[in-house]
Amino acid sequence: MVDSGRARGDYWDKVVEYLSRPEGPNEGCEHYPCHHEGQDCTLCFCPFYPCHDPRLGYFVESRKGGQVWSCQDCLWIHRPDVGRDAKKLLWGAERPSYDELLAMKVRLELSHRARAKPLMVLGATSGAGKTLLVAAICRILADKGLRVAPFKSQNMSLNSTVTARGEEISRAQALQAQACRVEPEAYMNPVLLKPKKDDVSQVIVLGRPHRDMRVCDYYGGFTTGQGPSLVKDAFDHLARRFDAIVIEGAGSPAEINLEDVDLANMKTAELTDAPCILVVNIEWGGAFAYAYGTLMLLPPEQRSRFKGIIINNMHGSAADLQNGIEELERLTGIPVLGVVPHIEHALPEEDSQGLGGRGTGSVKVGVVRLPHISNFTDLDALEMGGGVSVQFIDRPSEVAVVDALIVPGTKSTVDDLRWLRRRGLDRAIIERRGQVPILGICGGYQMLGVRIEDPRGVESDEGGSHDGLGLLRTVSRFDAYEKKTVRVEGALVGGGEVRGYEIHMGKTESEEEPLFILRSEDGMRREGSISEDGMVMGTYVHGLFDLPSFRTRFLSLAGEGEANEMAMDHDAAVEAGLVKVAAIVSQHLDVDAILRMMGEGT
Amino acid sequence: MNNIMVLGATSGAGKTTIAAILCRHFTAKGYRVSPFKAQNLSLNSYVTSAGEEIGISQAYQAWACGTEPHWSMNPVLLKPHRGRGMQVVLKGRPLMDAGPGRPVPRDVLMDAVREAYGAAAGRSDIVVLEGSGGAAEINLADRDIANMATAEMADSPVVLVGDIDRGGVFAGLYGAFMLLPPERRERIRAFIINRFRGDASILGPGIERLEELTGVPCAGVLPLSQLRMPAEDSLDLGRDRGSVVGSEDVRQAWMDSLEQLYRMSRDHLDYALLESIAAGG
Repeated sequence: MVDSGRARGDYWDKVVEYLSRPEGPNEGCEHYPCHHEGQDCTLCFCPFYPCHDPRLGYFVESRKGGQVWSCQDCLWIHRPDVGRDAKKLLWGAERPSYDELLAMKVRLELSHRARAKPLMVLGATSGAGKTLLVAAICRILADKGLRVAPFKSQNMSLNSTVTARGEEISRAQALQAQACRVEPEAYMNPVLLKPKKDDVSQVIVLGRPHRDMRVCDYYGGFTTGQGPSLVKDAFDHLARRFDAIVIEGAGSPAEINLEDVDLANMKTAELTDAPCILVVNIEWGGAFAYAYGTLMLLPPEQRSRFKGIIINNMHGSAADLQNGIEELERLTGIPVLGVVPHIEHALPEEDSQGLGGRGTGSVKVGVVRLPHISNFTDLDALEMGGGVSVQFIDRPSEVAVVDALIVPGTKSTVDDLRWLRRRGLDRAIIERRGQVPILGICGGYQMLGVRIEDPRGVESDEGGSHDGLGLLRTVSRFDAYEKKTVRVEGALVGGGEVRGYEIHMGKTESEEEPLFILRSEDGMRREGSISEDGMVMGTYVHGLFDLPSFRTRFLSLAGEGEANEMAMDHDAAVEAGLVKVAAIVSQHLDVDAILRMMGEGT
Repeated sequence: MNNIMVLGATSGAGKTTIAAILCRHFTAKGYRVSPFKAQNLSLNSYVTSAGEEIGISQAYQAWACGTEPHWSMNPVLLKPHRGRGMQVVLKGRPLMDAGPGRPVPRDVLMDAVREAYGAAAGRSDIVVLEGSGGAAEINLADRDIANMATAEMADSPVVLVGDIDRGGVFAGLYGAFMLLPPERRERIRAFIINRFRGDASILGPGIERLEELTGVPCAGVLPLSQLRMPAEDSLDLGRDRGSVVGSEDVRQAWMDSLEQLYRMSRDHLDYALLESIAAGG
C-alpha cells in the first residue's frame, strides 16, 4: 500500500456530496466529458480510489517523488450500470473503511466486469451470415443481463448510418448495437471503407472521413501502419465500459494472398485476445470443405484460437449432416456448436451481395441498380406492410413497367449518371414523368436536377459541369471535400413525421418547394424538393421510409394507396426481427459453450 | 475417346458456364463434343425434340457444341416440389415422386447414368462432364452420384472450380481437395478460380501456396462476367445475373454471350493445360 493510508475523510465527504446529485451524464459540468461523451457522472469521484486493481490502473511517478496510483484510463465507475449499483451500495453507508469499500467493489464486480470478455465470429466466406449471428449472440448475452457491445474493426460497406454524435459507422454495427440495447458509437466500427470506384475507397476512421485510399495503399500501408493501434484503442475503450464484446470478422480469415496485411480477421483476434468461432453458410454447398480449408490454411497458433464452428443457413433437416459434422470435428478437433436453420427475416442487408428482387406485393417499386448503389437499406421499410415488391432494375424496359421509380444513393454520382445515360435509362425515366412517382435519394437527388457542378473535381476525376436529368429545378455543387453526416428529424410538408440521416458530399440549391421541414438546433430548415405536380421528389434524407408518413404518401402515388400499408414503425419491425432471430439462434446453438468460452457460467 | 469433368467447391461456382466454355473450345477445334451431367437438381428444364425433359444447362451446353439436346446429356433430373419431395425424371421421362420414406434406388440411377454416358461418348470425340453441387460433401460421400462417382465411372480427369466473389476461395478449393480420399484427389488435375474482380496479380502468392500444398496447377483466373446465362436455380436470383445482350431470342442471346465469354477466357485460361488434361496427359 503506497497511498491508501492518507486521510480518507475529505475524500469520502466528496463522494457523499455526489451521491445526492442526479444520475447520468452531467453535461453542465465544466469538465464534461472528462472521459468520453455519454459517460455516467453519478459518481464523479470513484469511491474505491485507490483500488490498486491492476486491470483498472497503475502506479505513476509522483511529482513529489514516490509513486501514486493513477486510474485516469479507468471508465468503470462511469458505466451507467456500475454508477447506479455503486450508488445503491454506498447510499447510507457510514464512512466505510477502505477494506469495506474494496469488499463492495468485489460485490459490484460480480455483476459488472472490470474488463469485457471478447468473442469473435469469423466467416469462411462473405455472406456466411456473420452479421446476423453476431446480432443474435449480442441479444442473447444482453438478455442474460450482460452489458454487451458489438465490434467490427474494419467494415467495407456502402450502407452506413450516423450515430447520435454525427459519426458515420456501418449500419450492420448499428443494428448489432440495437441488439445489445445500447447506442451505436464509432468505437464499434473504427474503420469503415466505402468503395468509390475501381480500387479506391473512402476511409472513415472513428466516424469521420479520413481520406480516399487505393486498395494497395490501404493494405500494407494503413493496415500494418496506424491500423492495429487504432483498432486496439477502440476495442480497449469499449472493453473498459462493457461486460462482453462480440466481434465480427470481415470476409474470410484464410485469404492466403493477404495474410500478412489483413487487419479485420486474425489480426483483430490477436489484438483483442478473443476466442474465435467460424461460421460457414451451407446454402451453397461445400460447407465442410470451406470450414476445413479455412481452419487448416491458418497457421497453428491462429487455428488454436478457434473454439467452435457454426453451420448456418440450413434448409431442411440437420440430421442429414451428422456424418459430415462428426468427420469435420474429428479432422479439425474443433466442435460444431450448432446448425442454424435458414431464417426468414426483414432485417437490413449489409452489402450488395444481398441484392435481388424482394417482396411479392402487387405494387412494383423499381430501384435503379446504380453501379455504386449505397444505402439501399433505405428501401427495406417499403416492403414491411406487404403489398409492395422492390425490384432492382437496370434496363429501360423495366423502367417502363414499374409503378414507382427510385434513383437511390450512390458513392459516385457523376460516374453513375454516365452509366445511366449509356444504358438509355435517363430517357426511360424521363418518359415516365407524371405517370409514376419518381424519387431521388442523395446521389439520385443530385442526378434528378438540372446540373451537377464540380469545378474542382471533388466528386469525380475530371472537374466540370454535368447535366442532370432535369426533372427537378435544382443545381448540386461540390465545392470542397466535405462530408455532411447528421441525424435529422422533422415534418413532411403536408403533414406527418420524418426521421432519418444525411450522409453526403455536395450541396443542392432548389427552386422547387421543399419536401421536408427539418428541425435542428439552429431552427427550421427546408430540405429536399418536390415538383409542382407532386410526382418528382428528391431528398438527402436516408431512412425516409422508416416512419409511415412518407412511405404511405409515396406508395399512394404509386397506385395501390393505403390499402395494405400498415402503420408500422421501422424500428419496431427491426426489434421484432431481432427477437425472432435471437430466439431461433439460441435454440440451435450451444449457448453454454459460448458462455464458457467467454468465461461466463460453467 | 477423351473427357474432362468440371466439379465445383460449392453450388453456383460457375461449373455450368465453364463446362459450356470448354464445350465451345473443343467444338471450335473441330471435335465432336457432348456435354454430360449425370444428375441435375433444377426446376429449369428443357424439352428435347424427342420430348425428353433435361436440365436447361445441358441444353445450353449442347447448343454450345452445335448439337441438339438429347436425354443422354442429363439422364437424371430431380425437380423439387413444394415441401420435401421431388419428381425424379429418368432418361427424360418422369419416373416417380421421391421423398421422405420414398427413396430413389441408387442402382437404378447409376445404371441410367452409365447407359447415358455410353450413348453420349459413343457420339463424341470428347465428353465435357459437369458435377453437381459441392465436390466434397462428406455427409453424402456414400450417396453421391453426380460428382466423383461419375468421374470414376467415366474414368475422367477433373478440374475443380472455386468462386472467389464470395471470398474464401483458397480455403474452399483446399478443403474440397483435402476432404476427398487420396485416390479421388488424384483425379483433380487443375483448379480454376472464377468470378474475380480487379487485378489478378494480387492473387499470385495465394495461388502459389495452393499449388504448393496440393501439387495441382491453377489453370487460370476468370474475371466476373456481366453476361447472362440461364439461371439454374433460385439461388442465382440473389446474384448479379448480368444482362441479355443482342438478339430478342434468348437462346441466341445466350450463345452470343457465351461467345464473348469464350473469347475473353482465352486471355485467362491455360487452354494448352486443359487440352492435355482432356487428352489424358
